[in-house]
Amino acid sequence: MSEAAQDSVPRLAPGCRLNAAGGQEDLLLIPEGALRLKGPARAIIELCDGERALRQIVEELTRRYPSDDAARIKTEVMALLAHLRDRGVLQYV
Amino acid sequence: MKYQPRALIAEVTHRCPLHCVYCSNPLEMRHRSEELSTKEWSSVFRQAGDMGMLQLHLTGGDPLARADLTELVRAGRSAGLYVNLITSGVGLDGARLDALIDAGLDHVQLSFQDMEEGPANEFAGARSHALKLRVAELIRERRTAFTVNIVVHRRNLERLVEMITFAERSGAQRLEIANVQYYGWAFRNREALLPTREQIARSIEIVEEARKRLKGRLRIDFVLPDYYAKYPKPCMNGWGHQQMLIDPAGRVLPCHAASIIPGLEFFRAPTHSLRWIWEDSPAFNRFRDESWMPEPCRTCERRSRDFGGCRCQALLLTGDAAATDPVCMLAPMHTVIEETLARVNTKGGAPPGQGWIYRIDPR
Repeated sequence: MSEAAQDSVPRLAPGCRLNAAGGQEDLLLIPEGALRLKGPARAIIELCDGERALRQIVEELTRRYPSDDAARIKTEVMALLAHLRDRGVLQYV
Repeated sequence: MKYQPRALIAEVTHRCPLHCVYCSNPLEMRHRSEELSTKEWSSVFRQAGDMGMLQLHLTGGDPLARADLTELVRAGRSAGLYVNLITSGVGLDGARLDALIDAGLDHVQLSFQDMEEGPANEFAGARSHALKLRVAELIRERRTAFTVNIVVHRRNLERLVEMITFAERSGAQRLEIANVQYYGWAFRNREALLPTREQIARSIEIVEEARKRLKGRLRIDFVLPDYYAKYPKPCMNGWGHQQMLIDPAGRVLPCHAASIIPGLEFFRAPTHSLRWIWEDSPAFNRFRDESWMPEPCRTCERRSRDFGGCRCQALLLTGDAAATDPVCMLAPMHTVIEETLARVNTKGGAPPGQGWIYRIDPR
């Protein structure tokens, strides 16, 4: 699958939502169960609100984690979103 | 908790407008007068949320038969659960669907029996197909998350391509193609429903092609009939490991069919706490670990993956719920499966669909 364009706007697919924050584990609830989220996955998904473009999501994360390498953040975001899209739980507006 | 329950399957009623020849409900169903009240179900959902469960599957029968369904959805959401409605769709109109969505419904699973009206109505024992098509449209218009569920078998597998095409255009995000599992009413109609080996092979090719083509657009879950498998399915992902089912009268069970197993006492949710039933009741612990296992399961390297298969199937096919699931090629009683499949795969051997035994309504 080709990489999504930087101006495309991701959001969770219908029927998918994050569990309540602050629980024992971070989960993405989906029709057939739940996906366990690791590391920054929850923060990334929270930014996929159907308003922000990919570019803005990466910019926001770079602002939040200034010590991290911007290119690496971008790679990580793109990998997570591609995975979620293939899984059918994320789509582009 | 050593075993963390994840999903609660709530059979809120056994009443249903359909009479499907493969219904998974038990042969002995609960009457309306025995059903738990709105308040009792709400208490059950709160307990489930407190135990860390994530998903609530409202099923039946058809949950739409309950006038308080909107309240039940609301109660599930306020308990912190993801609420999935599993329905025939019959009797659902736009206003009721809007109310369910407002109450917090997360997802709808809508069943179809076929893609051709005549056979669809024949398998359902009701003139329901046209109504279902309209309901699919209502769901699509509202952009509600939805799964199309089609139970497949010998008599409709030839229309698998049409089923996938329909799902593709329906607006659903997911298609569940589930081969009949042979319990309850389906077991009584087994010889007419079991597909041939050829049908299975062809259906696997069709689904694989469709999965590639529809990746990222429509997710396809495909359940094969375990009669054709080499090893048993990890039924319910293990007895009392992740899921529990509550019948309309509040009886808490490890699965849809467990009530047929003799010698097990299943307690009711209103009189016992869900946590006690899950953690401490003897029935939930009966097949939970590996101590019950006979050979060859006891020393089999697959025992932690498939848990010896399905206890209900073992009972139905061998008379002993603690036997190795006979679908396993290593099971001492595997010959009962081989004999059944030999009959089904002999030309002219399997009977046509006449003489269906239809599910009766407990109303």
